[in-house]
Amino acid sequence: MLFSLRELVQWLGFTTFEIFLHLLALLVFSVLLALHMDGLAPGLSWWNVFVTFFAVDGLSTFVSLCLFQDGEKRLAVLHLFWVLTVLSLKFVFEMLLCQKLVEQTRELWFGQITSPVFILLQLHLIRAFQVN
Amino acid sequence: MRMSLAQRVLLTWLFTLLFLIMLVLKLDEKAPWSWFLIFIPVWIFDTILLVMLIVKMAGRCKSGFDPRHGSHNIKKKAWYLIAMLLKLAFCLTLCAKLEQFTTMNLSYVFIPLWALLAGALTELGYNVFFVRD
Repeated sequence: MLFSLRELVQWLGFTTFEIFLHLLALLVFSVLLALHMDGLAPGLSWWNVFVTFFAVDGLSTFVSLCLFQDGEKRLAVLHLFWVLTVLSLKFVFEMLLCQKLVEQTRELWFGQITSPVFILLQLHLIRAFQVN
Repeated sequence: MRMSLAQRVLLTWLFTLLFLIMLVLKLDEKAPWSWFLIFIPVWIFDTILLVMLIVKMAGRCKSGFDPRHGSHNIKKKAWYLIAMLLKLAFCLTLCAKLEQFTTMNLSYVFIPLWALLAGALTELGYNVFFVRD
């Protein structure tokens, strides 16, 4: 719509297959979230709801490591560094959010929880100017 | 006139940043505003996208446009329009649910999002598994 698939792949630094996996994880997560919030699955904990995101982060890291062997060395290292940074920041955000929802503690603010997302936003802006 | 990638990213970045700041303020109980107000950046961004899309689709009605060269393109544009409306429907029902205007289950609120994600996954899956460069 606003971006073509080719532009998204260049900008985000993920392959089309990885974007597909992350979207699929979002779909499964939203289904589990709805089941949890509506009380339709009593045995479902917050960690179970978030498990799809953790799984896809791991899978995406594995795919990136597999792709590392292909292509030019310097570019491959830079690409791997970018992907691992993005995935680790995303993982930290998911962990903190899940912890907040499980413990319902007031010590952990949403400002702190979303700080990795703010860092990610700035990184993506810088990368967009590089790609442009 | 087509915007460059940097301009489009800047537009997206600005509205996402504004929305995130307002969302964090609301969740940390620093801003006692309505959820519909918190979603203002989303409403503005969606309106911009919808106007851009409608202008592009209206461009087909101009005299001298050859419809033989755009049958695939118009289908894509129609899907984008449906996707935008699904996103808007999801955001509106979510706000209504959060403001407790309705007592419907969260599963019903998520239906437009699931339709949107299913469509996006179908399009992306086609690109991943069937289209070869």
